[in-house]
Amino acid sequence: MEHHADYDVVIIGSGVTGTGASIYCGRFGLKTVVIGEKPGGTIILTDDIANYPGFTKISGMDLADKIHEHAVANNIEFVEKKVTKIAKCSEGCFRVFVNEDLYHTKTVIYATGTEWRKLGIPGENEFTSKGVHYCALCDGPVYKDKVVGIIGGSDSAAKEALLMAGYASQVYLFVRGDKLRAEPINNQKVIENKKITTFANIEVLEVLGEKFVNAIKIDKQINNSDIFKLDAIFVNIGHVPIVTLAKEIGVLVNNKNEIIIDKMSKTNINGFYSAGDVADTQFKQAITGVAEGVTAAYSAYHYINENEFICLHNDEVVKHEEN
Amino acid sequence: MTKVTVYSTPACPWCHKTKDWLKENKIDFKNVDVSADKKAAEEMVQKSGQMGVPVIDIDGTIITGYDVAAMKKALKIN
Repeated sequence: MEHHADYDVVIIGSGVTGTGASIYCGRFGLKTVVIGEKPGGTIILTDDIANYPGFTKISGMDLADKIHEHAVANNIEFVEKKVTKIAKCSEGCFRVFVNEDLYHTKTVIYATGTEWRKLGIPGENEFTSKGVHYCALCDGPVYKDKVVGIIGGSDSAAKEALLMAGYASQVYLFVRGDKLRAEPINNQKVIENKKITTFANIEVLEVLGEKFVNAIKIDKQINNSDIFKLDAIFVNIGHVPIVTLAKEIGVLVNNKNEIIIDKMSKTNINGFYSAGDVADTQFKQAITGVAEGVTAAYSAYHYINENEFICLHNDEVVKHEEN
Repeated sequence: MTKVTVYSTPACPWCHKTKDWLKENKIDFKNVDVSADKKAAEEMVQKSGQMGVPVIDIDGTIITGYDVAAMKKALKIN
């Protein structure tokens, strides 16, 4: 076990929320490490961002890189790994584990964001990356001149269909509800695009194939069959918060599994803050996530200054755990 | 000398991350755009058994996705 001692703040999640928060931690003079396996987070999958103040138009990747550079300039340490466990000390500190490595800290800012929501149907896991995909921006070009399906009814699904129409020979949009709920401009683009056909009130029941996907089974008949042949599906049915590690130490979540925070980004556990897409806020944007993150940094700064911490070191941690 | 090939698509953010990481670590590599090269796309599928990018071939060790730990292990660097 490698013991990384005595941090003021461990930020879990290296997206724009966690990284943005770290800039303020640095400026408050707090010893801070940001731990996350996906630097930049989900925003890097967004091609064009036109609503982040200071940038008329910027890619998600470039925005994430600029925020990262800003954090590094404030002496923030980054660890490109996945946190595997969090534990509370009786002294009010936290122990954050990356496999065997231990990071001992006075506070935690939990900004893990979300991951793709899965369909949860037979064949989905078996054919992941073998015709079941979640990122058209990444894997879409591989299906040049092929037939693909987009599963989902949101604006995001409409945009995926439009993107894929640039590569595929035919795009089928499978909407579970009675209509596509895209922004009017994207809805119109979908209607006008000759490569895209939308099927409403259709549920996908199973992904079929041999080595790779070759069809899906649906709950209604199209062309007299409930088996619909295609080369790939791109699933776009929203996201789910990544909350498992926080819940394990008793952090409260709402009925959407989002972490409940107050206006100061505090959770129900002292010294444990949360921000960004994983938190129970209504308007989930890069700018609001960063704002919640820097509020968490401010709360952590005050919490650290107003409390005494008797942090345990490596040997004592083991002894402490044994007791 | 270690032979490294990255199979990627132009707009894929994780492909960019992978190539940036290799450049930062001064690892020479060959980039193959599978959206423009059908034969290379088939080669990638044959090597990795899947259709997702990026795929990194490090002297025959096949890595799928942006995976720093796996790249470090294959390149024998800390």
